[in-house]
Amino acid sequence: MARVILVFNKQVISDYPFTKENMTIGRAEENDIVIDNLAVSAYHSRIDRAGDAYILTDLQSTNGTFVNDKKIVSHKLRHKDKITIGKHLLFFALSKAEQARAKEGELDQTMRLDTARQKELLAKQAERKGVAPPAKGERVGVVSFIDGSDQADIQLSKKLTKIGKAETSEIRLGGLFMAPTAATISRRPNGYAITSTGGTKVKVNNQPLQESQILSDFDTIEIGNYKFQFYTQGSEDEK
Amino acid sequence: MELELKAAGVTDVGLKRESNEDYFSVDNDLALYIVADGMGGHQAGEVASKVAVEVINKNVQRWIAEDTPYGELFDHPDSALSQRGNYILSGIKLANRVIYELSKVYAEYKGMGTTIVVLSITPNLVIAGNVGDSRIYLIRGDTIEPLSKEHNMVTEQLEMGLISAEEAETSPLRHILTRNLGSAETVEADVFEIEPRDHDRFLLCTDGLTDLVSDEEILELVKDGDDLEGLCRQLIAKANGKGGNDNVTVSLICVENLADKRQGKIKKIWYRSK
Repeated sequence: MARVILVFNKQVISDYPFTKENMTIGRAEENDIVIDNLAVSAYHSRIDRAGDAYILTDLQSTNGTFVNDKKIVSHKLRHKDKITIGKHLLFFALSKAEQARAKEGELDQTMRLDTARQKELLAKQAERKGVAPPAKGERVGVVSFIDGSDQADIQLSKKLTKIGKAETSEIRLGGLFMAPTAATISRRPNGYAITSTGGTKVKVNNQPLQESQILSDFDTIEIGNYKFQFYTQGSEDEK
Repeated sequence: MELELKAAGVTDVGLKRESNEDYFSVDNDLALYIVADGMGGHQAGEVASKVAVEVINKNVQRWIAEDTPYGELFDHPDSALSQRGNYILSGIKLANRVIYELSKVYAEYKGMGTTIVVLSITPNLVIAGNVGDSRIYLIRGDTIEPLSKEHNMVTEQLEMGLISAEEAETSPLRHILTRNLGSAETVEADVFEIEPRDHDRFLLCTDGLTDLVSDEEILELVKDGDDLEGLCRQLIAKANGKGGNDNVTVSLICVENLADKRQGKIKKIWYRSK
């Protein structure tokens, strides 16, 4: 079992065996390791166990968390690491069995952290850093006709939206020069990509679309005589 | 079929590991390609990756053959996806459940899990699904772009603006997955659908490659050349040349002779109107 040894002024104050899945360090009494000193934030940092690994994370504390004198955001603890919080030192120690396993694990083993715990960890980091918490749902793309026709806005609810004359198109457009599929908009890891599929001229922000490009909010799209604007909408904007 | 697919896959134990926990399958008849990177002590990682690949392959094959409607698939279908897209999604979810149940019943499989990347290609649709940190790339002409999402702590921290891209590259949380197959009763998979183009190439790979070889290096190596298996071996040699820290699996798929009927028709119309 791993241990954390709290040291102040070269004196061992206490020895904490790692009996849970995580330990928190801070000034507030709810912490597993309480350090009553004004240089220490109420919830300063925490250590999470993920399989055989122990991950130390600074909870965006005011004065920072240091490992072996280097400031860290998050750090995979090794045997004998020295953690500095204010003027207090914490030494991290693995048991003999864990040290042996850690040696095997030097190869950066992939592991998985419990979902609830990592969500909590991220939320806390975000809160301290003043970053908005992650949006509940992903943002959804919308195209809005800006060519004077009174068609309603269309939400891109499919992963792949086909635009053209074909009956199977998600967005059907008429006209003599309209191809069955003139363009597609696909939701990709990097965002919404518009791709010209040939036959009909497609322009994005007045530039002819050669192949494919990722759309940004408020880009204008022209397909034949039709003109649209693209934007994304979060689930919270929909009210 | 209005398209021709060429594909190859190669796996290698790397230079530092004793066993290979990766597994893959290349099935040109189904146009279904799968790569998995297992984890878990003893032989459990190998079991997880193999079970995942086989469960997905067998079930997707059956669903295609029987033209199974949405409603009869495992777990909830996603209305944003095509029928084939739902087969992939459902196959991934089913594999997750099977691995999860196995790990509960057998003590030696406790804690096993695997990543998964699945690619399927039809004449008018490319479907890419994934869970974990293995990747799918689209190589189109001189460009390379991901068709998979990485489910690890670093990616989430990066997306939330908690760390910088440089910090992400060296973060100790790189190998901490936020999702995999086998550790929870249900799993969310990311599935993307795009339209194929003639000469599109797709690369499925495990992190044994991407931890050591950059996107640019991958693009340079695989954008040209007809010997797909040779290209796979070159990718593996590159990873091993940089340390070979982990098992490496790569599968390369190339779209050929994609008949573009629509384009033919349109050209005729243009011609007549002139």
